Amino acid sequence: MFPALDISTSGLAAQRIRMNAQSSNIANISTTHNERGEPEAYQPRFVVFQTDESVGAHGAAGVRVASVEIADVEPIWRYEPHHPDAVKEGPHAGYVAYPNVNMMTEFTDALEAARAYEANLGVIDITKDMQNQTLRILA
Amino acid sequence: MLTNLFTSTTIPVLEEVAKFSQLRHTTLAGNIANLDTPGYKFRDLSVDDFQSRLQEAIETRRQPANPYRAGRYAPHGEPAHAMAADEPHTILYHDKSNVELEQQVSEMVKNHMQHNLALTVMNQQFRLLSTAISGRL
Repeated sequence: MFPALDISTSGLAAQRIRMNAQSSNIANISTTHNERGEPEAYQPRFVVFQTDESVGAHGAAGVRVASVEIADVEPIWRYEPHHPDAVKEGPHAGYVAYPNVNMMTEFTDALEAARAYEANLGVIDITKDMQNQTLRILA
Repeated sequence: MLTNLFTSTTIPVLEEVAKFSQLRHTTLAGNIANLDTPGYKFRDLSVDDFQSRLQEAIETRRQPANPYRAGRYAPHGEPAHAMAADEPHTILYHDKSNVELEQQVSEMVKNHMQHNLALTVMNQQFRLLSTAISGRL
């Protein structure tokens, strides 16, 4: 009975990590610097889910975040020659590399993560009720 | 003596039903946790198979030549809940996953009701037994 709770919890945790990645993408939608302060467009993050047999039992499996990947997409080039991060020379001279984050995709994904989170919460409610009913035999 | 006390009721049957639905609940919880896992195929336990095996076990118990013993509901081989369901027919999404939330939730609710039904009836049986033991209403 208790594996069910662990499984749902693994789902909650995984969806929360996914939500973190999306928040990060949206928060950094205009970031043109990297951690070291060099001009570099932020690349969107995405999570990869994987079944986790160690959480469940009897063939039922939980879920875990296998990795957080960083996308490798061409940045959006905007012509802003006076911007401190503007490219000085080459074919993109005068252009600033902006992150290629699609807000529509991110919001849809965030909505999906929120719904999946709710679904797992619903399962936890049912699990708790089943456990309560079982314990009531003792009373 | 105590075995006879319980086997005269349906408590062992209800116990199997509760055990099965708890296991099935765990499996269905795994499906919902893996809603967004690419390549995940949903898992389930076969209700039909469980019920036919339970039926078979109850029939065996009724035969006087084959007295029932506690904890022996599945007469031969593995316990009823160890059997997996047949290949399900659902939509296969482009990430090679086939979990449908609505279907899983409705199965889970059905399973939940079956579990609570078994436990409610079991409670009633225990109450009846204790009334019988105490000898007064």
